[in-house]
Amino acid sequence: MGKTFSKPEALTDAHTHYCPGCTHGIVHRLVAEVIDELGIRKNTVGIAPVGCAVMAYNYFDCDFQEAAHGRAPAMATGIKRVRPDLMAFTYQGDGDLASIGMGEIVHAANRGEKFTTIFINNAIYGMTGGQMAPTTMPGQRATTAPEGRDVEKTGMPIRMCELLSSLATPGYISRQTVLKPKYVNKAKKAIKKAFEYQMENRCYSFVEIVSTCPTNWGMTPLDALKWAEDTLLPYYPLGEFKTPEE
Amino acid sequence: MAKVLMKGNEAIGEAAIRAGCKNYFAYPITPQSEVAEYLAKRMPEVDGVFVQGESEVAVGYMIFGAAGCGERVMTTSSSPGVSLMSEAISYIAGARCPAVFVNIMRGGPGLGGILPSQGDYFQATKGGGHGDYRLLVMAPEGVQEAVEMTMKAFDLAEKYRGPVMILGDGLIGQMMEPVEFPEDFDATPMNNDDWATSGMDTRKTDKRNLVKSLFLDPKALNDHNLLLKAGYDRMRQEEVRYEGYNTDSEYKILIVSYGTMSRVCKTAIDTMKEEGLEIGMVRPQTLFPFPEQAVHDAAAKESCSHVVSIELSMGQMVEDVDRCVKGQRPVTWYGECGGDIPTPEEIIDHIKSLLKN
Amino acid sequence: MGKIELKGTVIIVGNYGSGKTETAVNLAFHMKAAGIDVRVADLDLVNPYFRTREARHILFEKGINVVLPEEKYMHADLPILAPQVAGLIRNPAELTILDAGGDDVGTTVLAALADSFVGREINLIQVVNPLRPFTETVEGCKRIQGEIEASSKLKITGLVSNANLIDETTPDIIYKGYELIQELSHQTGIRVEFITAHEKLLPELDLSRFDTPVLPILRQLVPPWKKPGL
Ligand SMILES: Cc1ncc(C[n+]2csc(CCOP(=O)(O)OP(=O)(O)O)c2C)c(N)n1
Ligand code: SF4
Ligand SMILES: [Mg+2]
Repeated sequence: MGKTFSKPEALTDAHTHYCPGCTHGIVHRLVAEVIDELGIRKNTVGIAPVGCAVMAYNYFDCDFQEAAHGRAPAMATGIKRVRPDLMAFTYQGDGDLASIGMGEIVHAANRGEKFTTIFINNAIYGMTGGQMAPTTMPGQRATTAPEGRDVEKTGMPIRMCELLSSLATPGYISRQTVLKPKYVNKAKKAIKKAFEYQMENRCYSFVEIVSTCPTNWGMTPLDALKWAEDTLLPYYPLGEFKTPEE
Repeated sequence: MAKVLMKGNEAIGEAAIRAGCKNYFAYPITPQSEVAEYLAKRMPEVDGVFVQGESEVAVGYMIFGAAGCGERVMTTSSSPGVSLMSEAISYIAGARCPAVFVNIMRGGPGLGGILPSQGDYFQATKGGGHGDYRLLVMAPEGVQEAVEMTMKAFDLAEKYRGPVMILGDGLIGQMMEPVEFPEDFDATPMNNDDWATSGMDTRKTDKRNLVKSLFLDPKALNDHNLLLKAGYDRMRQEEVRYEGYNTDSEYKILIVSYGTMSRVCKTAIDTMKEEGLEIGMVRPQTLFPFPEQAVHDAAAKESCSHVVSIELSMGQMVEDVDRCVKGQRPVTWYGECGGDIPTPEEIIDHIKSLLKN
Repeated sequence: MGKIELKGTVIIVGNYGSGKTETAVNLAFHMKAAGIDVRVADLDLVNPYFRTREARHILFEKGINVVLPEEKYMHADLPILAPQVAGLIRNPAELTILDAGGDDVGTTVLAALADSFVGREINLIQVVNPLRPFTETVEGCKRIQGEIEASSKLKITGLVSNANLIDETTPDIIYKGYELIQELSHQTGIRVEFITAHEKLLPELDLSRFDTPVLPILRQLVPPWKKPGL
């Protein structure tokens, strides 16, 4: 799969509202390319989160539902249980998935629901203006942590891949990033694998993407990439955490 | 203290601290995140508690637990978040714990929008959560009143041992106005030794306290709910608050309106008065208990031919207005429910069209 | 009292609610009336209401170009940064006014734009209203200054006193604001660009007390029960 410079069919013509240097756009593209390559665009339902990607349905050219904050995995469960023939994916931020929606994601994964989750970990609440997320790094400043995240009072950042792989139910759990071109191909492979497991009706599949939010981190897009690489990647190691073959 | 200029959201946060509330739990949501951001800075200065919960569901129960210990406690949220807290509000009412909830309303249903709304009138005054309970609801028209009501809310919550809500639309949270904080506010909580789980050692007693809402025996549940009812009846006697605006005049039409919407109505009423057209208004400051008698009597005035409820919703309070007017006059609704706020000119046009018909 | 001399790129910062937007909009009117080509960009990603975009129609009417997010995102609960902003910084008008959000939080976005600022002379103007919490004292103003400089990665170059209690502003409040800003300037070595005063208050003020220009203000960002421009 070489680079496709033309627009994937699964993306609309709309310009995204994402800030300059935001990685949401890249991930949209990867997911859309995978949908194209698997030829599933007309059989797929996306579930939009509440977060910066709330308007993802303007950018993906397939059926979409809009969830309440954090509830996308429950809606995906509903979709897949009544229409197992459809492909479903949730696209969720760290506040949406690891804070308010922690219950839904853990139980959907544990039931082994046959849908795919794309988890955008940017270590902050982007949409609402930079509040602390469960994935915010120790000492990282946020509007609700004006002196930086105090782990004495807020605990350590949650590692979702590690947490979900501890479930005994088989599943596909992978953490990737798009911070540099060299990571992008791997990320796409993981996304494709995730969708393929769903197509084969094998298991629940989850791909975390370590992402950036230059606007709320207060960094130029380049600095944000560097900060993410230096600070986030050591704490959020990349790789496959679990496959259904295990 | 001299006046300062404050955003409604900040002023509500500061008012809580001035009222002796050192415990704040919340989850971010527009248009009220500034309360949390203000208190994230201020609570540490006063040795208070600030917790960003993982969800509004959790926050509701953090409030429940803290309130059960008899501590002054508050949360703030906006419509979708308050829906999630509604379960806890029902439990808190059932377990008779004092707690203050602030809803800075935005448009709904669902994700709706982030502009001002009064679409949660029913949720606040008629339930929201399940079961036989009522919520004492106060609706400020501006930042100063938001401060006064927030401070008073802690006293009322303790007086009635139950949840109290401040219901403001998004504009209340976002606009800036000069405010003054009362100097002489007595922030001592009422004695709660007979019910709070404050520790038997603390209370110097061998009698334990239980905070709970389960009453399996039908008679016990009936008695419990009648006790709650007695409190709500007492609220109806003692807590009704409203403002009459131009109600001494021989008004032709009576407006009922609350919150920032009523401020627009006031401008419209003043303008019409200059033109020689008298219009009156009753502005409920408490939405539950509703100023039933005041609305009834104001509608009954000889000169008044029509009552109109002006709201930022598709018409919710109008049902209460209609209930109180009891058929003496036609009652209709006017308003917006998408986030825009009717202008004084639009209200004047509407009033004049009512007079023509 | 002199003339306001600002040129080039001016970024208005300050603590929450210090009156940045009102200052930015009125400064735009004032300079436009003086024959200067003015453009304005709304960089406030923090506040959901009462932003420059609310005054867009009157700005357009006066021939002032405003860079705003697309109309469909105008009321979105999203921190949308219009892509044209970077371009505007690279090719500024005679006077380009960027209205940032409040506090260090609101200026975080400036750091994200840092690339566009490189090699350019930027006026970073701190607006102070001593009647707002956290900026009643010189110490408070200095603290906000430090926080804004840290988050924006830019240096504050000028000060503005916007002392007011909205409709309850008195001459004393303006004098008090003037004294505070002078003291702040004295202690930090940062010059005072101007102070503001509502037009209606001007006749009551002893202008000879000020060494700085006075920007007359008409309120443009008002709640729906008030008329803008009064
Ligand atoms: C019940 C409820 N509570 C709060 C909100 C406000 N809210 C919207 S998005 C969001 C967090 C977004 O952060 P994240 O999920 O990390 O997504 P990002 O914007 O960073 O991509 C919050 C708190 C809401 N919409 N609904
Ligand atoms: S706020 Fe952050 S996550 Fe949201 S679009 Fe901007 S950069 Fe991306
Ligand atoms: Mg996030």
